[in-house]
Amino acid sequence: MPEAHTTVAAADAVETVDGSKPAGRTPVRPARPGGLRKKLELTLLLAPALLLFLGFVLAPVGVAVYYSFYNWNGFGPLNDFVGLQNYHDAVAGPVFQHAIVHNLIIAGLSIAVQLPLSIGLALLLNRNLRGRSFLRLVVFAPYVLSEAITAVIWLLILQPGGFVDQVMRSLGLGGLIHQWLADTSIVLYTLFVVLTWKYIGFGIILLLAGLQGVPPELREVAALDGASSWQTTRHIVLPLLGPTIRIWIFLSVIGSLQVFDLVWIMTLGGPADSSATMATYLIDHGFRRYEFGYGSAVAVLLFIVCFAFALVYQRFVLRRDTDGALTRIVG
Amino acid sequence: MSTNAGTRPAPGSSRWGSVPSRPVRRHPLASGTPIAYLAALLVIGVTVVPLLFVVVGGFRTSAQINADPAGLPSPWIWSNYSGILTSGTFWRFLGNSALIAAVATSVAVGCGSMAAYALSRYTFKGREALYGLFTVGLLFPLGVATLPLYLLLRQIGLLENPFGVAIPEAAFSLPATIVILRPFMRAIPGELEDAAVLDGSSKLGFFVRILLPLSRPALTTVAILAFVTSWNAYLLPLLVFNEQNHFTLPLGVATFQSQYSQDTARVLAFTALSMLPALGFLAIAERRIVGGLTGAVKG
Amino acid sequence: MRRIRTSAAVALAAMVAFTAACSSSGGSSPAASATGPVTLTWWHNGTTDPVKTLWQQTADAYHAAHPNVSFTIDPIQNEQFTTKIPLALQGSTPPDVYQQWGGGQLTSQITSGKLMDLTSSVSSWISELGATAAGWQAGGKQYGIPYDQHVVGFWYRKDLFAQAGITAPPTTMDEFNADVAKLKAAKLVPVAIGSKDRWPDAFYWDYFAVRECSTDTLKQASTSLKLDDPCWTRAGNDLKAFLATSPFQTGFLGTPAQQGAGSSAGMIASGKAAMELQGDWELSTMTGLVSNTDFKSKLGWFPFPAVTGGAGDPSVALGGGDGYSCTTKATAACVDFLKYLASTDVQKKVAADGVGLPVNPAADSALTDPTLQTVSAYSSKASYIQMYFDIAFPTAVGQALDTAVADFFAGTGTPAKIIQSVTNSASGGK
Repeated sequence: MPEAHTTVAAADAVETVDGSKPAGRTPVRPARPGGLRKKLELTLLLAPALLLFLGFVLAPVGVAVYYSFYNWNGFGPLNDFVGLQNYHDAVAGPVFQHAIVHNLIIAGLSIAVQLPLSIGLALLLNRNLRGRSFLRLVVFAPYVLSEAITAVIWLLILQPGGFVDQVMRSLGLGGLIHQWLADTSIVLYTLFVVLTWKYIGFGIILLLAGLQGVPPELREVAALDGASSWQTTRHIVLPLLGPTIRIWIFLSVIGSLQVFDLVWIMTLGGPADSSATMATYLIDHGFRRYEFGYGSAVAVLLFIVCFAFALVYQRFVLRRDTDGALTRIVG
Repeated sequence: MSTNAGTRPAPGSSRWGSVPSRPVRRHPLASGTPIAYLAALLVIGVTVVPLLFVVVGGFRTSAQINADPAGLPSPWIWSNYSGILTSGTFWRFLGNSALIAAVATSVAVGCGSMAAYALSRYTFKGREALYGLFTVGLLFPLGVATLPLYLLLRQIGLLENPFGVAIPEAAFSLPATIVILRPFMRAIPGELEDAAVLDGSSKLGFFVRILLPLSRPALTTVAILAFVTSWNAYLLPLLVFNEQNHFTLPLGVATFQSQYSQDTARVLAFTALSMLPALGFLAIAERRIVGGLTGAVKG
Repeated sequence: MRRIRTSAAVALAAMVAFTAACSSSGGSSPAASATGPVTLTWWHNGTTDPVKTLWQQTADAYHAAHPNVSFTIDPIQNEQFTTKIPLALQGSTPPDVYQQWGGGQLTSQITSGKLMDLTSSVSSWISELGATAAGWQAGGKQYGIPYDQHVVGFWYRKDLFAQAGITAPPTTMDEFNADVAKLKAAKLVPVAIGSKDRWPDAFYWDYFAVRECSTDTLKQASTSLKLDDPCWTRAGNDLKAFLATSPFQTGFLGTPAQQGAGSSAGMIASGKAAMELQGDWELSTMTGLVSNTDFKSKLGWFPFPAVTGGAGDPSVALGGGDGYSCTTKATAACVDFLKYLASTDVQKKVAADGVGLPVNPAADSALTDPTLQTVSAYSSKASYIQMYFDIAFPTAVGQALDTAVADFFAGTGTPAKIIQSVTNSASGGK
């Protein structure tokens, strides 16, 4: 995509990311400082993050990619070069293929179920309810709980005849009781429910922050015009929440593709790999078996899946957010 | 600009001036109505019950919990909580976790906000590629990088050192921080920047004095996310620390687990206590999420 | 841009080479023997009592007797061990003494070059420990010393057996199946199993193999990793027939083995199931799960039943143990310390504190619980103790075996597939 460069004087007032010009005024601006000043500022702003990132994220990741071309049990030097064999074994294996499908199911469900739930709750918690602060704290608390403890608690609760079963029976829903964690056809969905419980707080906090950017005056103007609350929500608030929602979807899908801790502790990816995810597969068939090369290869494959999604998503969805909603378009 | 020329508009003031107040017909779903309260109650119920399970479980013995998962304590056991609170180890773990989380959060938010500012309000060649590079960091699960990361930390001598945990955690929180902050920073009106420049401020001055305060909701959000991620981190501290004195809270839970048994009650008590600081941080920070651009008119 | 990419690539490659080079093992030169003060770093998995206190006391006692040897003890939670050991063995300062479960894991760890060969240092006294010590050998050399041993058998509830009209524990599989039927008729859960964790499932396959295969075949399997003798297939078929009797509790696929009342151990402790195939550690596990320890008097133990027509020696038992290895940086003090751990004094405490079955037969008398005494007596009469295959085999192969058996329990796979998983993994397949 073409980018207009900063030049001295008024030209930069109308530069946009995709090169189009907004209609309307071109305010007079003082002359911009020269390119050197800008480079210095950019270096100052970007260097710390970049250094940290390169050193502690990219470099180890690069080394992990290096391992993926070897068979290595973690002891001794790397001397068993196998090229792409690890990748081939992973992709050709039915367990990994099932794992990808499971990840996609969780990602899809999170958009279909968690998103409306998060939006609804965020809207609710944005109103002037009494005890609103307390409610927000309560709803966010599961997110604060570590995944390990979440898994342990839900494992206890979901045992046959355990807490959940007891509650359902007392509500007269005994007929709906299943073997939540032992039934291979529903274990994945049980895990999704637990994941939703845990991560709903994350979405709500994010959306609450986004809702602060929706001026209440807009809603009042709409109300004055006779719009119902639902109409206001649908036609004004939601579109303005758009960028936040799109970020949430991005983070949520990436998180769904990488989900590990909860699944691992609750089911080990079982029974019979019916709840395996790519991450549990890589730990189970890779690192736990001291096959670090294979595990790294699966991790790279997981990365490629995430990357493909990220690329497509950036290009087609997040691109829209580069257009400013109401104001002068910022560089 | 609709405000008076010559005066700097106060941050947070309305762009649309004041709106005449007029009574509006209340909609059934408006705030304070029964349906809203009912919905709220349902939400609390489903969310809170497992949390209560944790808190109340700490007042029982493991045997009680095993015999009757859904029951109330009988008798109430205080020794789990009191034992943990009076043991020096809990407070040491708490201190370690707090130090690491504080460092990781400040580094992540500090460096991340600067980078997000550069990526949102400057144009330069390779900007989108750089942004993409940061996004790539989101796509690799931390667990895989820990083996090489451990080797790297050993190389530079950061093992058994809280910074050996805090700095990598900050680095791994950078992508999410930047991804969330960039659109928020972008949405701040360019007119504010123009006014600042008119007043003689530099771009960096604008960043520090105007943009950051205006971005408080987003900054608080990413701070909370970075804090909680660090607070609950398990794998990296596990690898970096061998001495129990250096353990963080999640590692501390493991002290109640041995190969053949698990003291569930103490684990629950410990967990309940571990959650409090993070929730406390949220309670303080939460008020700052609401604020920022909301109008001064309605108050 | 291109220039930046090249230099970045060079930097990355340099870093990779640097870390790989530094992570490769140094030579396995023996450490200089120190006559001065020595501090041994000790990693063990006893994060709670009684083990934690026992080891602390042991270290203090040894230090009192040998003032120039002190200890830095790091208790590490059991599951964390498998994560930390490969990393520690890569570095230049691994712990001097660390917990070792022997078998295939030991063999893998030896490739790091960091383990001390103890053969000559222990030859004078290792025979006291009997056949168990063989589990900590590789290529005929001793690389670790066990401090307790484990045996797997059926723990059962005498009260539930009585309720179902079973007068004596079964000695053959036919009798076992008949007892399962009687328990079902009395509306009791015959067998509890923690299938979620996978390794309890493997016990069944392991034991059918032990009953079907001769001792020589069993010994060969751990080294050749080829399971072509027909006895292995017969073991799988035995397992299939056994599973067809549906002896387990509802939802057994999701039941954990040791965590919480809903676990298989919890079910035995609270009388919700009649039998469980588990190791001697089951007693300590159960004790932590219920409030009143009355159940102990209702417990009994019987060995895995005989299989008609099986070529296996009926006195062979499945088991394992815990032990320690010394790393090459450690000094002669380490070996001497391990000898102390195997001595009668410490072994008696191991038995009395309920840490495990002592590996030194002289300490058997210190066991207090009658059921554990039964177990210990049985293991001392065993002609051979086969280490559970997931530990005996190299780690990758053992894990592949556990997974295949667990899948079989869940209804997918065949006996042939279980064998295939072993041979496939052994030949490097994934």
